[in-house]
Amino acid sequence: MKRLRRAATLRLARWAARRHGRDTLPITINRRRIYIIPTRFGIALALLLVAMLLAGLNYNSNLGLAFGFLMMSLVLVAMHHCHRNLQGLIVDARTEVDAFAGGVARLEFVMHNDAAVARSDIEIRCGDVIAIHSVAAGSYHRAALELPVSRRGIARHERFELRTRYPFGWFRAWTYVQSPLTVFVAPEPRGGRSLPPATGGGSAGLSEQRGDEDFAGLRSYEPGVPLKHMAWKVLARGGEAAVRSYTAQAAQPEWLDWSALQDLDPEMRLSQLCRWILDSEHDRHTYGLRLPGAEMAPGKGAAHRLLCLRTLAEYPADTSA
Amino acid sequence: MSAAIAAAERIGFERLAWLTACLALALLAYVNTLPIWVTGLVAGTAALRLILAARGRGAPPRPLRIAVSLLAIGLLFVQYRTFNGLSAGTALLCLIAGLKLLETEARRDVYVVTMIVYFLSLAALLQGESFWLLSYLIAVSWLTTTALLRITSATPAIQWRSSLRYSGKLLAQSLPLAVAFWLFFPRFGGPLWQLPDDGGGATSGLSDSMSPGDISDLANSDEVAFRVRFSSATPPPEERYWRGPVLHDFDGQTWSRGEPVRVGVPRLLFEGTPYHYTVSLEPHEHNWLFVLDWPSEWNVARAGLTSDYMLVQPTPVVQPVDIVATSYSHAVAAETLNPVMRTRDTAPPPGNPRSLRLAEAMRAAHPDPLDYVHAVLDMFRHQQFYYTLTPPRLGSDPVDGFLFDSKRGFCGHYASAFATLMRAVGIPARVVTGYQGGTYNRFADYWILRQSDAHAWDEIWIDGHGWLRIDPTSMIDPQRVERGLNDIVRAGVPATSRWQQRTPWLSDTRLRLDALRLLWRQRILSFNEESQVKLLSLMHIPDPDEQKLALVLGFCLISGMAWLTWTVRGELTPRPRDPVTRAYQRLCRRLAAAGIARQPHEGAESYAARVARERPDLGAAVAALCRRYSDLRYAARPAAGEAALFIAGVRSFKPRGSRGSS
Repeated sequence: MKRLRRAATLRLARWAARRHGRDTLPITINRRRIYIIPTRFGIALALLLVAMLLAGLNYNSNLGLAFGFLMMSLVLVAMHHCHRNLQGLIVDARTEVDAFAGGVARLEFVMHNDAAVARSDIEIRCGDVIAIHSVAAGSYHRAALELPVSRRGIARHERFELRTRYPFGWFRAWTYVQSPLTVFVAPEPRGGRSLPPATGGGSAGLSEQRGDEDFAGLRSYEPGVPLKHMAWKVLARGGEAAVRSYTAQAAQPEWLDWSALQDLDPEMRLSQLCRWILDSEHDRHTYGLRLPGAEMAPGKGAAHRLLCLRTLAEYPADTSA
Repeated sequence: MSAAIAAAERIGFERLAWLTACLALALLAYVNTLPIWVTGLVAGTAALRLILAARGRGAPPRPLRIAVSLLAIGLLFVQYRTFNGLSAGTALLCLIAGLKLLETEARRDVYVVTMIVYFLSLAALLQGESFWLLSYLIAVSWLTTTALLRITSATPAIQWRSSLRYSGKLLAQSLPLAVAFWLFFPRFGGPLWQLPDDGGGATSGLSDSMSPGDISDLANSDEVAFRVRFSSATPPPEERYWRGPVLHDFDGQTWSRGEPVRVGVPRLLFEGTPYHYTVSLEPHEHNWLFVLDWPSEWNVARAGLTSDYMLVQPTPVVQPVDIVATSYSHAVAAETLNPVMRTRDTAPPPGNPRSLRLAEAMRAAHPDPLDYVHAVLDMFRHQQFYYTLTPPRLGSDPVDGFLFDSKRGFCGHYASAFATLMRAVGIPARVVTGYQGGTYNRFADYWILRQSDAHAWDEIWIDGHGWLRIDPTSMIDPQRVERGLNDIVRAGVPATSRWQQRTPWLSDTRLRLDALRLLWRQRILSFNEESQVKLLSLMHIPDPDEQKLALVLGFCLISGMAWLTWTVRGELTPRPRDPVTRAYQRLCRRLAAAGIARQPHEGAESYAARVARERPDLGAAVAALCRRYSDLRYAARPAAGEAALFIAGVRSFKPRGSRGSS
């Protein structure tokens, strides 16, 4: 029964996906994409209402009928309110988040309600994970969904679902948002090897590494640059996005190198690299990452860390022997 | 996260207490009719469950619950011998509600309890008929629905008040659809299937048998039997005899209907004045309808006359019914008395030997039957017969005891004695029970017939005349009517009756209230197929019938749903209350349709300036309107009438040229 239901849900979701195509976030939930069915309590109540109607007709009781019809209409009104609870809600999600294997990925959703009524009991569902939140009238609400991630790699959820059974739980209205949520799952940070020694570029003099000590001019923007290095004034004047370039004089980068860990198996190597990245970042060191076929130039800061972790996450599992 | 949901599934003490309160309020409608032990048991289980919940414990163990349930249901069966029928069924439902409360733990049980409350409310209304009961039960359902809202919501509103307001709004929004359903849902008139005979319901009013003392019990009842409105002239009091059960069999004590005889309805030749009237009959659980002597036409299709001119329908009157009928003040038999009926109505009365001897003696003195009848009536008129509500007890020969010893009695005694004296000499006689007289309600022009107006009289057959109505009670001189206040008080009538007689304004109020009750009865309680047809013709629908009714219902349903969609969705973006704002929004909409939409950041004046640039032809008008709008909004004291001018200006502003023409 449960399997059957799951299969039906999946088919429905696929059909909805074909019907609506891919969605771009943020999305406003319009009425054409909201589906609604009675819950089992709603069906039970419907049967009861039929019984009430028959009783009223049989006893030819106008008051009984009046009461029965009032309850019937109440159910219909509740249906409209359930449907409306989702309608016009604006939803956004942060689609690229970090996680470590064996931990949880925090997906962040923002529900924006610019209507004059509150949205109560909105369930956000992604896979089997559910979060229930309400959004007050004319406000927004951040909701986090913690997805357990077991394996390194890229976890993709093709869609998420918004569902509500408010008010009364007689009906269930839901909508699918066909927007993939991507989670880069870095390897679980493990391993006790000490950091490799900082290696100079060979020369003992000042190496013109990019750093953050002395201003050395502007260069063009590339992703992952610390925000504080952005040349906002240039951007505000209408120029290209530019980054103030600095040189780091003293800091010698640490090279976190795949090849330095030859005695470990590949996943363990990645775990160790991950550990190092976190440690280096924690100690505010400058570090670079070398993997077979990929190299991250030395750097530091949240964006750099993110890029390195993603590189680890994306590293193919089976190429290395 | 899943742990949190499981915790939400279990309901705590507060929610359980609210649920119990709702159930208790619904059961309050039943307190009068339920066996006392059922009420006690339900109260007990509720208390037990609440105590357990207050201590943070779950439902009592399953074996205990099952044992209690089986015991209680068994006991109920012993009491009623059936679970079928309304009184046994509702008692069972109440019991189940109490037992369900005992095991209520998860959210699923909450749904079951609320559904029981809904059904209990309906079942109470099946028999009830008062406006207050309906209002009360709707209020109970409102509360129950609110409790359901709060219990099922994962993030309930903090305040009960806002939950109540929300569910109240939902109920208010469901009213229009409910009214449409109620007005146009086809009624079938009769029951869909045969109702089981309900032993539990206490019936009041006349029954199909009469011991002479019976009617004096009714005389103390203020309960309304029916109300009558005459659309023609009102008959004089001596013609206002409302015909009920006609009784033929006398066993010396009690008169009863006896076995029905299989003869056709003897034809009548109607004479005298026709009276047209509407009887609004209260349900009395019997088959007969009350009509004025002698009925010629009536609108209840399923009802027909018996051979003794009772108007009966195949099923008991369990709902208020309106009977539109015509009766004639006089009628003459068109044929001779059927021998079967003659035999039945001349059956010699058993016992009462002194009465029989008296009858024979009087008959010997008056050979003509009519003379004999007058002689008997004269006896009642001139001898010291008294009319009293509290007659002395009579022995085994009640007619003898009444005629010769006590000489005190109620209409039943007189009718019984008279019929006995007639039958003793072979004159066909029968006792007719019904109502006579009534109270006139001058505020709404109708008559109220209460149980205290119950009466019994006789009909005798005289060849050449047919059946004649004789009311021996009316022979009693008013001075010999012992019906003082003291009598009534002694008979146990509540003190309010004394009040009513001393304070005329109170009885006036009562009459006004009764007029409202009649209105409620006629408009709401006895709304039926005919009323629906009438309603359709009021709506100018030609040839109204069932099919048209279904069409109208369908139309109402569709437009009702459309209205709901519009209303419910409209709450997302409510229209501003302020008419000036609304007018300004309309102006912007019209300009947007003409191709110049207002940007969100534009104020009225800068918008007007842009309009003037892009559409010089509209510039002046828009500038004037926007100027006026700014004044209304920002001027320290806008001139009087400015708002109306602005609204009128917007209304008449119709820019030519559509999208893209600029």
